[in-house]
Amino acid sequence: MSGMNEMKNTDAIVKLHEVTFTYEGGVVALRDLNLTVRRGEFVVVLGANGAGKSTLCYLLSGIIPHIYGGRRTGEVQVAGRDPWDDPIYITAQRCGVLLQDPEIQLFMPTVRAEVAFGPANLQVPREEIERRVAEALALVRLEGLEDRNPRDLSGGQKQRAALAAVLAMHPQVLVLDEPTSQLDPLGRWEVVQALHRLKASRDLTIIMTTHETDEVMDLADQVWVLEEGRCVLAGTPEEVFAQPERLEAVGVKPPTLAHVWIHIARQSGAPILGDGQRLRDLDVAQVAQQAATLLRQGRIRPRPLPDSVQPPSPARPAVIEVQDLVYRYPGYPPVTALKGVSLTVREGEFVGIIGQNGSGKSTLVKCIVGLLRPTAGQVRVLGEEVRRLSVGQLARRVGLVLQNPDYQLFTISSREEILFGLRNLGIPREEAEIRVQEALRWVGLETEAEIFPFRLSFGDRRKLAVAATLALDPQILILDEPTTAQDHRGRYQLAELARRFREEKGRTVIMITHDMELVARYAERVIVMWDGQILLDGTPEEVFGQTELLHRSFLRPPIAHEIARQLAAFGIPQRVLTTQDLLTVLGGWP
Amino acid sequence: MNVPFRYIQRQTIVHRLHPFTKMIYVLLTLLLILIPLYDIRHLPVLLIWLGLSAALWAAARIEVGRFAALLKILAGTFIFLMLAQGFTYRHGKTVLIKFGDLHFGGSNVGELTLEGVQLGFMLSVRILTAASSLPLLVMTTSNAELMAAMNQLRLPKVMTFMFVSALSFTSLIFEMWNNIVDAQKLRAFDIDRMEPITRLRRAYVPIITPLILLLFRKANDFQIALETKGFGSPGRPTEIQTLQMKPIDFLAIGIFVAVFILCNLLRFRL
Repeated sequence: MSGMNEMKNTDAIVKLHEVTFTYEGGVVALRDLNLTVRRGEFVVVLGANGAGKSTLCYLLSGIIPHIYGGRRTGEVQVAGRDPWDDPIYITAQRCGVLLQDPEIQLFMPTVRAEVAFGPANLQVPREEIERRVAEALALVRLEGLEDRNPRDLSGGQKQRAALAAVLAMHPQVLVLDEPTSQLDPLGRWEVVQALHRLKASRDLTIIMTTHETDEVMDLADQVWVLEEGRCVLAGTPEEVFAQPERLEAVGVKPPTLAHVWIHIARQSGAPILGDGQRLRDLDVAQVAQQAATLLRQGRIRPRPLPDSVQPPSPARPAVIEVQDLVYRYPGYPPVTALKGVSLTVREGEFVGIIGQNGSGKSTLVKCIVGLLRPTAGQVRVLGEEVRRLSVGQLARRVGLVLQNPDYQLFTISSREEILFGLRNLGIPREEAEIRVQEALRWVGLETEAEIFPFRLSFGDRRKLAVAATLALDPQILILDEPTTAQDHRGRYQLAELARRFREEKGRTVIMITHDMELVARYAERVIVMWDGQILLDGTPEEVFGQTELLHRSFLRPPIAHEIARQLAAFGIPQRVLTTQDLLTVLGGWP
Repeated sequence: MNVPFRYIQRQTIVHRLHPFTKMIYVLLTLLLILIPLYDIRHLPVLLIWLGLSAALWAAARIEVGRFAALLKILAGTFIFLMLAQGFTYRHGKTVLIKFGDLHFGGSNVGELTLEGVQLGFMLSVRILTAASSLPLLVMTTSNAELMAAMNQLRLPKVMTFMFVSALSFTSLIFEMWNNIVDAQKLRAFDIDRMEPITRLRRAYVPIITPLILLLFRKANDFQIALETKGFGSPGRPTEIQTLQMKPIDFLAIGIFVAVFILCNLLRFRL
């Protein structure tokens, strides 16, 4: 913080002085912020959900107070003006904003029209608009897609189109509010590459909020960490990321490479950084090489890794049997989403299904729960053909918790929300009440039973959706993207619930996810889908070892596992899958 | 589920027509169905216009399945109209089925009459004629062209954008509706197997409520996305696309007007 205040303000483009903001409902979202950004800097803003990151974005871009009202004290300057004083269309010419959800930001029929929309509203001459559109699309690498409907693009392409639309307005400051949080790994990579190009090619100031510290470590010039509206850490990536414990304490995931690097330096007593060395420049090879050197010198010694949970024996009964499953979405033209998938899931397994959007993961699961009727092939759940079962019969067997809980919540209280499914099954009132209490207790929402579901946080709404599913007492629980829109602390809450469900009740769990660390941490079997087929199926160790095949499906093993593979010669077990595993095995003094 | 009537990007003669030309076709269709065409003898009038529409659908290379989707949507209304008119048409003479004598409002609602069914049928064909024209405009004209055309008409910016964004929002609503139905089915709420009356009574609250709540939220995000792109700026936006009428447009308008006149002449001769 002090470093920030000492910064020369002559070329400051964003300044916040003693800024406190309170929403109309009385929630204080930002407190006493004093921050400065210089022209051309890339600032990364970190913090748990509710820390004030989005509010900061809204304040800088004029969304506050013009769309969301509230009370502000202190001074805000963006490119020499206070956004509070100007209408949004004036602020938008200095400060562009990109939001999380690409879908809602795209409303024009073609990519070209989308990108031209902003400058056209500002009455920029047509020739200049055409030049800007070409320039912005080149920056985000969407040349050639000018005439495509933005809705037909992939997630990453959509977000890049939305980014181009902001860039075409030629802002001096670009505010990005978790721009990769709703994308698959490929989409995230595409957006991050676009940001690298932006940083390299333009004198643009970028302020980006995120939970994905691994993605932005090498982009950041400054890092701010917010907690309950206060800036509790600020400085260069070296200053901030050198404090992994402090980051963990405020709910921020330390970047894996920096975390491991600092850990081994501390364990060996070596200096954290040599002359001219920067944490932001680290890569897997460098960290592995440093660890190898210290292991070779005997300055750190591998520790044993606790035994992993043994997968259930193949003799256990199959709960899901999928045979030559084909699913074709009707349309013009029809799209074949599953191309002859066969698999068996046994009782008590914890399976992770990974793959890019469009690889067939969700279609497979929808066929299993009976939401889609297979075009060809068979799906059997607990020995019964799915197409012969009613929705109610299936709900007792398989529970699917969708990514967005808001698609299902509609009653006046959490209790009623859980009762809804039980009533549909015709469960007697007394038993239903007992199940409601048990389900609420299971997810830790017993004190929220009478609360209107939409007053709960997103994380709690997802827990409520899990409770509503568990109350139906399914034999198989399926979680669709359990880490979506969750911060570092909340990231594993649903997976933890699933793990307990499996361990205490002996049931089967399937997770669909893009989060490699999540799969590494919980799943004992990983299925990789690609182009409507199963590309890989095995233990996490087996699957993550197939780097070539993973690469083909645009997936990357967890960073910790990549480092561990490079340290195999030093006795580092290949079972190391998570950052925690790696820190444990590299943890011992000689 | 696909949105059945969204813009389909193709290079056909219909796609290349100026939006004004297609708007004139829609306008003439609406004028035609305003003419009193109740008698079954007037059916050829509507069939001629439907033939023109079919030719346009074919020229636009729009799949038959999409027209079938339109029919599917309207089928319930058609059956209702034919039955309702069949039982209530007061000038009905030829009894097809008799359930009893139940006089109400000057007609015997216990009898299904041929004349009533024919009246219902004619109303259905008129609805079909009207309903087949607007999707053709929407499916062959991009939103950008529609916006450009509305700008050429000097319509207020807000009105133009509201129209175009409503079209965009349709696909979003379809998507949300499907997701909500799926989410409720997962809780053993089997809307597909409910009786129509039960469905009306019970089914829509668990679906409409989350839809409305989500739409409010999306509308807020949409406002942010719009305003941060300078939408509130005073003055007319720069016209990116300028559309011009070509000889083919004048030819098409000529054909539409000629068929319209033919239909009217036929109407008064039949």
